[in-house]
Amino acid sequence: MLQYVNVSIDGAIIHAIKGASVLDTAIEYGFCIPHLCHVPNLSDIGACRLCIVEHIVNGRANVTTSCTLHAEEGMVVQTNTDRVRNLRRNLAELLVAQAPNSRAIQDIAVRCGVRKVRYPFRNDDCVLCGRCVRACAEIWKAHAIGFVGRGKERHVDHPFSVRPKFCKQCDYCIQLCPMTITPCNGPMKPGKERFCGNCESQLIIAEETGGCSWCRLGEGFGCGRYAGSKAR
Amino acid sequence: MPTLSTFRKLDMLRARLREQRKSITKTVAICGGTGCQAACSRDVIDAVKKELSEQNFSEEVRLCVTGCHGFCEQGPVMVIEPGNTFYCHVTSDDAPEIVSRTVARGELVERLLYTDPVSGKKIQREAEIPFYMAQDRQLLSQNRMVDPCSIEDYIAAGGYSALTKVLKGISPGDVVSQIKASGLRGRGGGGFPTGRKWSECREAPGDEKYVICNADEGDPGAYMDRCVLEGNPHLVLEGMMIGAWAVGAKKGYIYVRNEYPLAVKHSRVAVKQARELGLLGDNILGSSFSFDVEIARGGGAFVCGESTALMASIEGQVGEPRPKDVHTVIDGLYHRPTTLNNVETWANVPAIILNGPAWFASKGTRGSTGTKILALTGRIKNTGLVEVDMGTTIKTVVYDIGGGGVNGNKIKAVQIGGPSGGCLPANKFTLPVDFDALIEAGSMVGSGSMVVMDEESCMVDVAKYFLTFLQDESCGKCVPCRLGIDRMLEIVTEITNGRGTPQQLDLLEELADTVSQTALCGLGKTAANPVLTTLRYFREEYEAHIKHKKCPARVCKALITYSIDAGKCTGCGVCRQGCMHKAISGKKKQAHVIDAALCEKCGICRSECKFDAVLVA
Repeated sequence: MLQYVNVSIDGAIIHAIKGASVLDTAIEYGFCIPHLCHVPNLSDIGACRLCIVEHIVNGRANVTTSCTLHAEEGMVVQTNTDRVRNLRRNLAELLVAQAPNSRAIQDIAVRCGVRKVRYPFRNDDCVLCGRCVRACAEIWKAHAIGFVGRGKERHVDHPFSVRPKFCKQCDYCIQLCPMTITPCNGPMKPGKERFCGNCESQLIIAEETGGCSWCRLGEGFGCGRYAGSKAR
Repeated sequence: MPTLSTFRKLDMLRARLREQRKSITKTVAICGGTGCQAACSRDVIDAVKKELSEQNFSEEVRLCVTGCHGFCEQGPVMVIEPGNTFYCHVTSDDAPEIVSRTVARGELVERLLYTDPVSGKKIQREAEIPFYMAQDRQLLSQNRMVDPCSIEDYIAAGGYSALTKVLKGISPGDVVSQIKASGLRGRGGGGFPTGRKWSECREAPGDEKYVICNADEGDPGAYMDRCVLEGNPHLVLEGMMIGAWAVGAKKGYIYVRNEYPLAVKHSRVAVKQARELGLLGDNILGSSFSFDVEIARGGGAFVCGESTALMASIEGQVGEPRPKDVHTVIDGLYHRPTTLNNVETWANVPAIILNGPAWFASKGTRGSTGTKILALTGRIKNTGLVEVDMGTTIKTVVYDIGGGGVNGNKIKAVQIGGPSGGCLPANKFTLPVDFDALIEAGSMVGSGSMVVMDEESCMVDVAKYFLTFLQDESCGKCVPCRLGIDRMLEIVTEITNGRGTPQQLDLLEELADTVSQTALCGLGKTAANPVLTTLRYFREEYEAHIKHKKCPARVCKALITYSIDAGKCTGCGVCRQGCMHKAISGKKKQAHVIDAALCEKCGICRSECKFDAVLVA
């Protein structure tokens, strides 16, 4: 039988499933925490760090990812403080400077409050969120793709760079990839990358700080507004 | 040798070994540590061995090939007892003289003695050398007594008596409370209270628990764990056994990196010997305690020194950290409660049990007790391993033990704690080597490496060096570490190339702060420390690079130019011949000229010039 615990998220006392991640709990109750590497029903690795929250323990606020934080009785979590918003913005800025060719990442950056990108753009096609790798390994038990290399050399590839027979080309990895959602005007040419952030849905959040803009992005990423229908 | 099935048999073995050794009146202890081996101590050992047998001393003289003595600068070193005679820079050619004079007749070979650079006097005894005098060598002094490949040596020196004491009558709970009372804190970097870790692991639910010794030391400039494991592996094993008894573990691992071949070899030998004697295995010394140790070799990833990455590596997974929202003392190796400690932490345990927690707590400061081994390297006279009481000031370590800068240069900064630590300027040298005091100053004790820098080191370049190291070694799993370090390096490189802007400095600071707060593992969280501390204490150097496009230390190649002072140049032509890029021209006995377009700024001309005629600006 499921056990329930009381968790305080942004001051609201929430009846959460014991051991469920704070991110899942928050999304279910309509708290929008930006996230990229988290996919429902896949294990959480805490790679993108966008879903950071402040977890308050003995009066000290620890910044940690909500996807790897498990709900426990009496837990106090703040999802939307100045500190968290600042850090999230800086992380999103790093991501969008790396991969401006993803509408999903452009949108996440806008939602996290990025207004200007201070780094030179790069034209990478992968942000190593690992959604594809985990889906392949955990849902299909195929392990047809995985991370190769360390640090700067880290990339996603087949074992020894050869597509194995057990890859049935189901394309599930492609469906989950944030890079498949290209910007409105198509992929940017090298040297012409920019931070757009002009979509209508995004302008709303620019005015209403801290509110949810019902952006279409949320649909693809399992936002509570679309998935759970339990409005805040 | 028969297995030791009771406590009494171990005591009898020890008594017998001591009895056997009574006939040995003289000991020649030659350092066989990695530092001295690099200085050809193997040849010295072979030569001395040959001489001893040729001059018929094999019976009464014991040749002991030991682990690191600490004074690596002077290697190969040897100590001859009785008399505590210390010889340094020994070569194999010296062996006949050493044996025929010092060993046979107790005479001194003057030229091999250590010369004190301050007074210029020759010092005979090891104990009187200033480098050793200011230290408190609890762990390192044992290195000198025992042959790391001989369990007999260790037992004869009183080894495994702490284990006997524990198994005979200290309950696991009492062991934990003794470690707690001693105030021992983790020597690997974080400084987490060891007693608390043990008690949490002990109380964690589960029958199967593990202890791990982390010997995956990877900080640039750090080699203290290497030397302890190489020099006295049984001490570490004994500490692990006591820890395993305390937390209730039956299985332990020593995770040692494969780049430390000697440490791998010695720990393997130690485990094998302990198994043969029944000190590892089932029902150790007839008690109910069963424990075994396996050696796991690491592939050399810096990140595998992080506890969760290390455990993943032992499990056969990719060595990447995972979030530690549930601590490893509850959910560690194979998802079982696991106590992971550093080599030095384990090595401290037997002495705490033998001498009592109060003895240990009497050393050091209130918050940081005991001694700490520091690896003193960089632009300093006496490089080597230094063991001091916690709370000793940086000044004492750098000037009294280290002897000050090379060539009398003024020391500018000390980088403590490797890539996770920070650079402290000379006006902070009054700070004690203490976990809390250093964290407050933005650095940390870390593993204990101390890299000394003088006026010829550019702090922006230092930050760049550490960022390059970290970028190479980051596992790349989380965004702040992978992209954040990369971008920081990008900015710092721009600055060293003279293309930095003041806005970039603010961005660098903000980015460093973000990385330190949001990275997944401890390594990522501390990765920004070199940048943050250099920005905090040496901001003017960054500003000089940005505003004036000058490198004050004359290191950053894009910002310096080489020229020849026509007044000083005698036209000897040494620089012209030395220049690999053919950038120097000039006729004999006439002032030479450097062609700036061809000059690669390697600095060879400057080091070759005997008249100081090559100028750098």
